[in-house]
Amino acid sequence: MTENFTAVSGKRRVMNSIKAFFTQPANIILTVSVVLLGFFTIYPLVLLVLDTTKVHIAEVMFKELRGLKVGQFTFFHWYRMLLSDMSGVYFWNPLKNAVLMSVLASFIAIIYGGVVAFLITRTDIKAKKFISSVFIFPYIMPSWTLASFWKNFFQNPGIGSGTGGFLFNLLGVRVSEGFVYGLVPCAIVLGLHYAPFAYILIGGILRNMDANLEEAATILKASRAKIIRKITLPIVLPALLSTFLLVFSSSMSAYAVPQFLGGSSGFTVLTTTMKQFINSGWYGQGYIMAIFMIIFGLVILAINQYATGKRKSFTTVTGKSGQISYIKMGGWKYAAAAIIIALCIFCSVLPLITFALESLCVIPGDYSTLTLEFWISKTTTSSGNGIRGLFYEPQVWTAFKNSLLLSGTCALFAGTVGILIGYSVAKRRGTFLAKAADNLAFLPYLMPSMALGAAFLAIGGPLGLSKTFFLLALVGSIKYLPFASRSGINAMLQLSGEIEEAALIVNVPWWKRMVRVIFPIQRSTFISGYLLPFTSCMRELSLFTLLASGSTVILTTLLEDWQAWWTQSANALNLLIIITVLAVNFIVNKLTGASIDKGVGG
Amino acid sequence: MKRLFCILIALTMVLLALTGCGKKDQQDKSIYEKAQEMSWDEIFELAKAETGEFNAYGNTSRIKDAMTAFVAKYGADLGLSDANAVGTKMSDSEIYTTIESESQSASNSKGASMVMIQDGATLLTYIENTEFFANYVPKAYASTLNSSALTPLVQQYINKLIMWNNVGEAPVITNVWQLTEASMKDKVYFKSPKNEQVNLNFLIMLTSDGWATKLADAYKAQYGKDIELGDYKNAGYKWVAEFLSNANFSINSDTTIAGDLSKPENTGKAGLFVLSKLRDKSVVQENLTVGAFNGTINPFAGFMYPMYCQIAQNGPRPYTAMLFIEYLMTQEGFAPWGGSVGAYSSNPSLTVLDGDRPLTFWTDILVFEDPQYIADNKAEITDFVNKIIG
Repeated sequence: MTENFTAVSGKRRVMNSIKAFFTQPANIILTVSVVLLGFFTIYPLVLLVLDTTKVHIAEVMFKELRGLKVGQFTFFHWYRMLLSDMSGVYFWNPLKNAVLMSVLASFIAIIYGGVVAFLITRTDIKAKKFISSVFIFPYIMPSWTLASFWKNFFQNPGIGSGTGGFLFNLLGVRVSEGFVYGLVPCAIVLGLHYAPFAYILIGGILRNMDANLEEAATILKASRAKIIRKITLPIVLPALLSTFLLVFSSSMSAYAVPQFLGGSSGFTVLTTTMKQFINSGWYGQGYIMAIFMIIFGLVILAINQYATGKRKSFTTVTGKSGQISYIKMGGWKYAAAAIIIALCIFCSVLPLITFALESLCVIPGDYSTLTLEFWISKTTTSSGNGIRGLFYEPQVWTAFKNSLLLSGTCALFAGTVGILIGYSVAKRRGTFLAKAADNLAFLPYLMPSMALGAAFLAIGGPLGLSKTFFLLALVGSIKYLPFASRSGINAMLQLSGEIEEAALIVNVPWWKRMVRVIFPIQRSTFISGYLLPFTSCMRELSLFTLLASGSTVILTTLLEDWQAWWTQSANALNLLIIITVLAVNFIVNKLTGASIDKGVGG
Repeated sequence: MKRLFCILIALTMVLLALTGCGKKDQQDKSIYEKAQEMSWDEIFELAKAETGEFNAYGNTSRIKDAMTAFVAKYGADLGLSDANAVGTKMSDSEIYTTIESESQSASNSKGASMVMIQDGATLLTYIENTEFFANYVPKAYASTLNSSALTPLVQQYINKLIMWNNVGEAPVITNVWQLTEASMKDKVYFKSPKNEQVNLNFLIMLTSDGWATKLADAYKAQYGKDIELGDYKNAGYKWVAEFLSNANFSINSDTTIAGDLSKPENTGKAGLFVLSKLRDKSVVQENLTVGAFNGTINPFAGFMYPMYCQIAQNGPRPYTAMLFIEYLMTQEGFAPWGGSVGAYSSNPSLTVLDGDRPLTFWTDILVFEDPQYIADNKAEITDFVNKIIG
């Protein structure tokens, strides 16, 4: 009898503790998050790995796989990629190129962004406000913008298409082929595109750094160079490392830039080769590249964690601010400002002008043949491309609607889940569930966009979701969740528990506490968590290039398609994308006060 | 609290619904065989009873216009309108992944019922290994089409031709081996076979015994001596290797290639691209000579690639798809493509545009695709090509 009683009460105790566990909203959120995120991050990865050992339909073309059935196990893809006589062409060369390009891009971004950050925060350079706002433009704009502009600008009759670009037509200057196509231009363009990372991360530290340190050195008559070398540099070193790793991993997964500027030099990287494999239906080999890209992401995170002690160092470092004594630049304050403004205009404004001009030319590059038909023609344009002017082309509006809807959905999902995870992780700090949810929400950050796209392509088939809008929204939401969950966690950690407890005492239900108390207090940070996924999604190509098509076409994938055929219409579309991204960014900035630099770098 | 539990259960159910897959039986294969014996009117009656959307995916943007015209003509009888009948442009690989996904769906009322595919080799592989597609040849055309256009059914052919800038003292190209000479280094515009499957297919075809022999003969005709193959398996491999070494891949658009090549400053340069681009406004036509119209080139003046039509077996409207395929074989159905030079219906009774030539003209002077040869050799020659272009 006693035994029975004990058994029943034991069972009841377990049930009660489960019940008690689930009375806490934070526990429910964490459990659901871990289950769903676990499924949608781990499952694609597992499937990706399994698919590298399977025969796919188009792979039966390989004589080594003939006789095997579709779906049968094989190590052929791994052998071919890593050990065969073609491994150099398909894997090792693209890998070497990708690493070289990413290292170079990281240095360029750090030097350019770091110098500008130093000049803005530490000197009396002129036009600080203007430079500061224009400098982050290249990051807001899609990366191919600059790549495409680079080609239009430096092209000359001696290379490539044999026609002159902007620089040649204007000044007759011919640059070498290596400056227009291949490793160097890819690295420079990526470096310029990611320089705002460096600017924000390094600038954040420089702005917040205790000026007393430098002042003490000045009093002790240390030279300016010595102060920079012995004080400033060591302080910004963690930010330099973070920037390096961030730009490196972003460049490793860059697809549009090497696709545009790889050109005749045969410059291939992992992403461009992977896309070719997947286009041929040779998924096994393509997915191996995706796996290596993910491994690179994990290694980079490990290095960063080891070097800085904690992952949160990706966010802008804050600290004690003091009275900063600016370095007096004398006449140089004008010259330096002029140089930086010129560079900013080159990277941000000139591309827009050339896209606009090119979209108005009947003959590309010939500005004497101007027309508005690529914008306003109600019937198919006279170039015989079968598409109407941009404003009247149904494909554009379908893509525009899809892009807005997709960005909105991803932002809403990522932003909301980010807040909920932030709330729950802060509430249950230190528990296993909180750590698991935190890490799972951050995991997609380490997966290069195209690799994640490939992983979702792999699950699309079995789930019957290939090429559906749902799959796009899912992959977008998961990819951008780290931005939102980071800002969510940071915002919640700043909030004292007493605030919510006060509402709890007067019996305010959970959802009301969230909507009426917590959200309004940290509104600006939370909105950043919505804004960043939205703008990132609007200009994203790598993530969606394998997944969007037909009725789910979005602006960026439509542009990729048009680029191959219809230059003028593509330029018009490019301009439309850039203007949309800038307009959304501007509107949200004005309405909410949230700005892109609050969340850059996750 | 209960509400939160409900949400949790609902989320789990959504997840299960997503992962759960009930495979609908593919359409009974015999319906396609039976339909091949039916007339347009008989199929039309069966199509009237069909429900669901009518979607068609094609590796050609003109599929939208063809669908619009089809709906305008037959939509009222078939219950189709612009809202439920859509033609969508997709690349081949996008079509395969979409059809693969749709074939898993139990109620595929929104999936594609027919597709237009460019790469025959991959299509053959899919036909052999899956039940995604079914071939259908309309009864009216079974005896009039060339036998090579029947399985899989070819709806049209598109040509890419060798052309060159003729401004000033530009050399005339009469033999393809001229394109491999040192003087043509970087002067032959060609979309990279990495990005353009049909260009790769053309190169693969040249390694076949038939074309290798013709190339060896052409070499002798040009230089008056037998070809020395060195390490190359045959003359086809040698030509491909030397052509690729000279090719300029910097332009990734046939339209831009045509426009840039026609600029006076590009005299002496050549290109291999679609003929239809000649009508683009950005092209100065008089600056370009088309080899095929200039007494042709030994042994080929370019190549011809097909566009195949297939029925998607899991689509909701197989009979409507059959009607649409037959419609595409008519002058009216072919009109969206027939408005440009360089596109030729597989139906030999259709007329071509003024200034162009009928399909029979091209038969002996262009390299036509043999999808089976390409499927058998694609992997090996892709490696060969990539070793050269990196």
